[in-house]
Order: sequence, then structure tokens, then C-alpha cells
Amino acid sequence: MSQEVLKNPIMVSGKGTTSISAEGLATYVPAAIALLGSVVVVLLRINVGGERFITDGALMMLALASYLIAAVFYLTNMYAPFRLAEKLGTWAATLGVLFNLSSWLVRWVAAYDREVAIFNSQGASAADMPWVFRYVPFANLYDLSLAFAFGAGITTLIVIRRNQFRIVAALSLPLAAIILVLARFIGSELVDLPPVLDSYWRPIHVGIASLSYGIALVCFAVAVLYLLKDGLKVEKMAVWTSAFAIGTFVTISKFSIFSPGSFGTYTASTFVGSSRMALGLRADIPYVGWMILAAAALLIAAVAGYASYFSKNNDIARTWGNRFLYAALLVQGAGISVLVYQLKTLQNVAALISPAQYPKFATWMLQQQDMPQAQINLMGQQQLFDIANKWIIENGSQLHLSLNANPVELAALITAFTGTFFVVLFGIKTERIREMLPSVDTLDGLMYKLAGVTFAGLALLLMTGAVWANESWGRYWGWDAKEVGALVAWLTYAGFLHSRIAYGWRGRSSAYFAVVAFLFVIFTYLGVSYLLPGLHSYA
Amino acid sequence: MSTLEHTATKDVITSAAKAGSGESIFSRFLKLLCSVRLGVTLLVLLGLACFIGMIIMQQSVDGFDRYFAELTPAQRLVYGNLGLFDIYHSWYFNALLFLVSMNIVLASIDRFPKTWLFASKPNVTVPVRWLRDQKQTAEAEIDGDANTLAERTAAVMKKIGWRKVAITEKNGRTYVFGQSGLWNRFGAYAVHVGLLTIFLGGFLTSQLGSTGNLPLTPGQKTNLMFGTQVQLDKVTEVTKRLPFDITCIDIQQRLIKKDGSISAMNTIDWMTKFTITDEDGSHEAFAQMNKPFDFRGYRFFQASFTPIGRARSITINAKPANGGAEEILTIARDGSAALADGTKIKFSEFRGNFRIGEEDPNEDTSAYPNPAAVLQIEQPGTPPQTAYAFGPQMANIPVAGKPVAGYTFQLKDFEKVADQHILSVQRDPGATVVYVGFILLFITLVAVFFFSHQRVWAAIEMASDGKCNIIFGGNANRSLGAFDEKFKRLVTELETK
Repeated sequence: MSQEVLKNPIMVSGKGTTSISAEGLATYVPAAIALLGSVVVVLLRINVGGERFITDGALMMLALASYLIAAVFYLTNMYAPFRLAEKLGTWAATLGVLFNLSSWLVRWVAAYDREVAIFNSQGASAADMPWVFRYVPFANLYDLSLAFAFGAGITTLIVIRRNQFRIVAALSLPLAAIILVLARFIGSELVDLPPVLDSYWRPIHVGIASLSYGIALVCFAVAVLYLLKDGLKVEKMAVWTSAFAIGTFVTISKFSIFSPGSFGTYTASTFVGSSRMALGLRADIPYVGWMILAAAALLIAAVAGYASYFSKNNDIARTWGNRFLYAALLVQGAGISVLVYQLKTLQNVAALISPAQYPKFATWMLQQQDMPQAQINLMGQQQLFDIANKWIIENGSQLHLSLNANPVELAALITAFTGTFFVVLFGIKTERIREMLPSVDTLDGLMYKLAGVTFAGLALLLMTGAVWANESWGRYWGWDAKEVGALVAWLTYAGFLHSRIAYGWRGRSSAYFAVVAFLFVIFTYLGVSYLLPGLHSYA
Repeated sequence: MSTLEHTATKDVITSAAKAGSGESIFSRFLKLLCSVRLGVTLLVLLGLACFIGMIIMQQSVDGFDRYFAELTPAQRLVYGNLGLFDIYHSWYFNALLFLVSMNIVLASIDRFPKTWLFASKPNVTVPVRWLRDQKQTAEAEIDGDANTLAERTAAVMKKIGWRKVAITEKNGRTYVFGQSGLWNRFGAYAVHVGLLTIFLGGFLTSQLGSTGNLPLTPGQKTNLMFGTQVQLDKVTEVTKRLPFDITCIDIQQRLIKKDGSISAMNTIDWMTKFTITDEDGSHEAFAQMNKPFDFRGYRFFQASFTPIGRARSITINAKPANGGAEEILTIARDGSAALADGTKIKFSEFRGNFRIGEEDPNEDTSAYPNPAAVLQIEQPGTPPQTAYAFGPQMANIPVAGKPVAGYTFQLKDFEKVADQHILSVQRDPGATVVYVGFILLFITLVAVFFFSHQRVWAAIEMASDGKCNIIFGGNANRSLGAFDEKFKRLVTELETK
């Protein structure tokens, strides 16, 4: 027997309801403070501060510091749970997001001031003034990185509303901090906007990109925690992070460290005078190449130790693997420190440049001057060498090194170090961390939610990009490298979602999809801009 | 567990069982085509192919010739034969897209009836053991008889948001079943319809679309556009005829720094005014940066410009050689003006980097190093003479001080503009279909990921002392956190009375 329900439902007390929703709202307070706080900061900048107000660059550094402090609190809390540390972590994270968004908003105002100054100097009338979205800070990779870190920060604040997910911040905030470090390396100079990008689709498209990337970052952090909780051996994670680190070591410095001709040599790009364009001329940085080689050797030794442990369950091999990993972490840290110190202090850069690269540099210079390739090919090695040599005699004294010359390489080195750092950390009291983590199902639920939103966000990113391209270039899809990059990341998230409904693939396989998908997001965000040519090469 | 999960699990198990029992090859092939595993595998392959296309430069990208020149002969041979230089148009890439589409269609057809059954005939009287196995489950002993409690439970369920409520009795138990967002189970199908619509649009574009470049110089008429065909490092130009004539009226460039060059980085906007003439007459047209002009399914975009510095108008100073008063005239491109004594001055040419002799058509003069206007002076009774008005850079060269028809001329100011604007012309009947697909995909994705199908059961059984034992159970296909809170509310509210 079946019957439809009562026409007049009986009302019951709503007492419990009110308290639940009030509690629910209270958990949004940090996110609300961060958003409202940054609006206050930008209003102060507009109305009170003027140009002497704290700069967007300084605010970015404050955000970076706050994210790192928050991460330290959360990481400490993993090993020695302490209510105060958790609270301080949340407040530091809140401040981090506040400074992060403030930095972006203040940058918008600064970009406006800069453009208006240019227009005023030309005696332009009010009608000639550019409109508000022309100077929205989504013009280059620095702007995108700032917004990306914000996306990750605000998503973290929303995720850690629930106490059981606080631990996610211990992983996502250091990653957000790396994005800001990368931004610092890229440099915060305001750039001129190519006119074709002066469209209202730009803030929509890039805004969606930065938020989606941010959510993807937190999803990645959850996927890693899921794998940890699911019992994936930390040693296996160490093999993956070591592979990433060795891959980074091999490819940086134009493959020079492992090439037979330049074995053990690390080179950094140079700048000339006040130009912001990195030259195709790289200076040898002493010691760094050998330290990277040593780190690679230690990582390979660690991987070998773990391989023996996996195949023969050899505990001694595992212990040695751990020792090598610790040593690799120390050497990586030392290598980065030595590199950064030398980039900031080394003088007489011309003396550090190997003449072997002169012909290549001359070719690069001629290409920059738009000389046809066929004409360059006709020149002999000696002729090319002489061109470069003459240039260096004339300009050598103006050559200098900078942290801004190789942003992606430096950030990759720091990411590799962070990867090793986390597996070392997870290796200490692994079972205790596993106990602290929410259940596999709960983490899976969060991962699914974040991946679902990222998937929808990337779909929207692709769609708005297509509409923009169609409105500006008359084609909605052109197989441009960045378009394809975002598509590959989107397909991988689609793979994640479908692997959950394919029998037997749910769980760990799905989590691997979430990890790989984020790597594609990073490749799209950085790799395409720095490695591949195309429409998006500006950002 | 969602319907899809249920069906997926069952599918594989039944297919595995049937496979052993002599199922036809065709049937097994069809099952493979319907499977989600194949779908995921195809997605991975598609992603891989796209990734190869990113890493290996495609022949349509600028600078491909340089990249191609640096490859070894072996690389050229292998990549070329595998179609990796134009992977997105290779047969296997198209085959992959086709297979993905087939998989989507067949998997949807395969699963839809089960979802329909699941939605139309909800399982209200579930076993108590199953309720206890649900992610959310609770048990309570509450005063009252089964009917009253069932009605109360139903009311609370409705109030909390599970609007569709049914009460059923079976084997001495009263079941109350509530659910919300049932439509969410169909969201995934709608998402795939959106995706297939986009694929269809893409197919239409590839089959029916047409594109080309249209260089426009003021005063000139054309009906030809130019496209390129790329075959590895060889680019050939293709000419296409438009079904109407285009006459360029005016081109204009809005600069950021007016004393700067006409480079793209110093430009806010390009404007092109032209008329289109077809069998219906003449139509005025205007295209701006990011504001294309639409006509009969064709769109005209600002695409690029020739980097040769010209002037849209000049302001010149005419100084009588005999010491009379100076006159200042402003003349538009290809226009003319008259001095007080009736002398006609025609603005015939403008050079950004003036040199005696012919202009080099390949020289980039967008920075206007030595601007000069070439004028034709006409006076009654004398043949036209050529005069030059130089900018301040060349004001002191001897020819600048030599009078022509009784005057010396100086270039006081000019409005910078390129020699010609190049519009991109696109005809794309697939774009509208793609847009429809986008809208569908967007709406359905939001509907799928931001809502959920929630189900909740209460099995009520009379216990002793006028009390009832209620076993609650429930699940949701997503947004589990929100569902958990609602579930707890249901139990708390019923217990607190």
C-alpha cells in the first residue's frame, strides 16, 4: 500500500536548525574577513594612501610570509596537535589570503594610475581614457600567479572550515607559497597590454583560470593526502618526487648539467643593462651544478634502496634509502641557497660566460633582429663567434645576474625540494599522520567535490576562451598550445570523474588521475608560456 | 552509491559472466564500445595525442620553418610519417574523436533505461539491514504509534527539503521515503548531449567554414581574400573570391603615445570603414578591434596591419617665397585643399622614412624616422608640380628650402596610420551550434555539480510501551557534507518532540 503524504504537515521545533546554520555560517568568517579586509585595503589605497601607500609587491611578500607561517603552524600541528597552533594557523592563512587579494587589487589601482599618467602626458581628453577593464591585472604571468595563489588560498580557507580538513592547509598553503615565490621571480613590473587583449572577456577568462587552478591545487593536496591515508607507501611517493626532482635537474640550465660536454655546469640567464629580457647568454654559476649532481646521485641511491625494499622487503635497504633521501634534501636545500646567494652577489658576469656558447648566442641575437633563418644558416661558426665576441666586448660590463632571469627553473628547483621535504616529513611518524587524517571515504568525497568544481571551472575556462577567441580572431578553437594544455587537463579531470564509475577503478586510480590532472594544469600555466610558442606566450 | 555505480558494477559482472557463456563477438564488441573503461582509455589516448601536439610544434604555428630546420633528418622522417606535425588533423586523431563520440552515445543508450527505472520506481521498502549499511544511518525509539510517527517523519522530511515523500507499509513496518533532486541523476546525460553538440559544431566548422585575409587600403576596391595552405615548412597562398565587392573608405589608428610609433603595442584601437556592394545595393561597414562587423554570415575582424607609416591627414604650413603671410592647411589622405590664391594642393603620398627615389616596400617605417608628405601643386595654366613637406627631422635639407610654385612647405603635424589594415574574414556556420553546446554544457555542469540527488528512508516498527523503533538510512550522490547535516536534523527533530 502506498499513499502520498499529508496535506498539512505537522510543524516541529526549529531550535536545532538555527544553531546548525549559525555554526555553519561562522565557519565562513575567515574567508569573509579575507575578502572584506582586502576591499578595505584597496579603498584605503584609493582614498587615503595614494602612491605612498604600501605597494602591491610588498603586500605580495606579506601574503607569502603569512602562507609560510600558516603552513608551519599546520605542519607543527600534525606532529604535536595543539589547539593554539591550529588557531594561529587559520589566522595566518586568513591574513595570507587578505594580503594576497589586496596585492592584486592594489595592483589594479597602480596599473590604472600608470595608464592615466601616460594618457595625461599625451594631453588626452576624458573620452580617450581607457576603460576600467583595460588595466585589470591579468596581463602577464605575474598577475596570473598572484590570482592563482589567491584561488588556492581562498579554496583552502573554505575547505578548512571543517575541522577534520584542517590538515589540507598543511599541504596546500606551501604550494600556494611556491606560486608566490615564482611570482616574485617573474617580477612585478607592470607591462603594456597588447591591444588585442583589451577585451572584457580577458578578466572573465583569466579570472576563471586563476580560480580553477587554485581549486585544482587544493584538489591535488587532497589527492596526496588520500593516497597517504589509503596506505600508499611513503617510499613510493619518494620515488615519484625523486623522479620529478631528477627530471627537473636534467632539464634545467638547457640540459647542461648532465650533458657530456658541459657535465656538472649550471648556467643562469643574464640581463643586460636595465632590459627586462633574459638574454640567450648564460653564465656559469660555480658549485651549483656539482651540488645538483650530488643531489641527483643521492636521490638515485635512495630510489635504488627503496626498489630493493619493495622487491625483497629488505628493511636495511629502506633505512639506507631514507638516509640517502635525507642527505638529498640537505644537498638540495644547500644548492638552492648557494644559487640564490650567488645570483644576488656575483660580479663580473662576462668572465663567467663560456665562449662555447657564442655562436648560439649570435644566432639568437640575429633571430631577435628578425633575420631570416636561411640567411643565418649561411654564416660560418667563426663569423657568428665574432659577432657575439664583439657584442660581449662592448656590453660585457653591463651584464648582470638576477633572480628574475630564470623564474621557472628556480621555482622548479624549489618545488623539487618541497616534494622531497614532504616525503621526508610524511616518513616521520607516518602512522600517526594517517590516524589524524579523515577517513578514506571522507577524503574521497572532498576530492570528488573539488575535482568536480575544477572540471566545471576548466570547462568554463575553455568555453570563455573559445568565445573570446571567436569574438577577437573569428575562430573559437585553433589548437593553440595553451588551449590544448587546458583541454588535456580537463580531459584528465574527466578521466578522474569517469574512473569513479568504472568498476574497479575507483579509489587509488582516481586519485592518480587527480594528481596527474594537476600536473597538466601546472604545465598549461607555466610550461606553455615558457617552453612553447603560441598566442598565450604572454601569460 | 550512485545509479551509475550500481549499473557499472552490474555491467561488468554480467558481461564477465556472459562472456564465458558463448556470447557473440558482435555483442561483446558492442559491450566494449559501451563501457566506461573504454571511455576513460580513449580520454587518456586523446589527452596523450593532444600532449604530443603541444610538445612537437605544429606546422601551422609561426616559426615552424625554424623549428623544422633544426630537426634531424630522422626526426623529420619519423614525425612526418606519423603525422605528428599536424596531429590534430590526422586520421587517427579524427578516429579517436569519433570513437569518443560513439562511446558517449552508446554508453548513454546502454545506461539510460536503468536510470529511468531507478528514477521512476524508487525502492521504498528496502531491507533494514541495507539501511544500517548506508553512509548515514541512525536508530531511535520514539513515543507514538506508527501512523502518527510516519506522518510526523514525512512532515519533517518535507520541511528539511526532501519534497517528494511517500509512505508505504510492508510486513508490519511503515516506511517513509523522501527524496530531492531526482533530476540530478539525468544531469550526466545532459552534459554529454552538450559535449556532442560542441563536437557537431566543430564538424560543421571544419566542413563548411571559410577564412581568409583581406588587405584594405583607402580608396581601393576588391573582392579577393587570401588564405594560406601549410605543408610542413612550405606555405602557399590561396586566393578566394567573396560573393560581394568591398571598397575601403577610411582607416584610422588610435595610439597610446601620439608621438610614438604605430606598432601594435602603442595602439589602443584600429578602425576600418568600408562599403560592401552586392546585388541588394551598397552597405556601410565599420570594424574595430574586438568589435567585428557581421554581414551575411561573414565576420570581418581587425587582424593586422602593414608596418608602413602613412598619414590619415596632414597639417602643412605653406610659406610664400616672396614673403607673404603663411597659410596652414589640413588635408585628408588622398584629399586636396586650396590656398587663398587658388593654388590647389593635393596630398598624394606619405613616407615615414623619406629618401630620394623609390620607396622600399619591405621597409618597416612604423616608427616614422623621417616623415615627409609628397604634394602635387596645381596652378591654372601650368602643369602640376611635385613638392615635399618635411617634418622637423629633415627641415634643413636643401630641397626643403627650395620653393615650388612660389611656396615652401613644412609638415607641421600628421595623424599616424598604417598603409593598410588587414581584416580577417571568417564564415563559420558551426559557431552557433558550438555556442548552443557551450550554454548547454555550462548549465548542465552547474546542475550536476552544485546539486545532488538525496534519498532518505525511515522504517518504523511498533515496539513495546507505546513506543516505536525507527531505523533511518540515507544517501546522496554528491554534496555529502550538506546531506549529513540534513540527515542529523531529521533525526534530532523527531527525537526532540
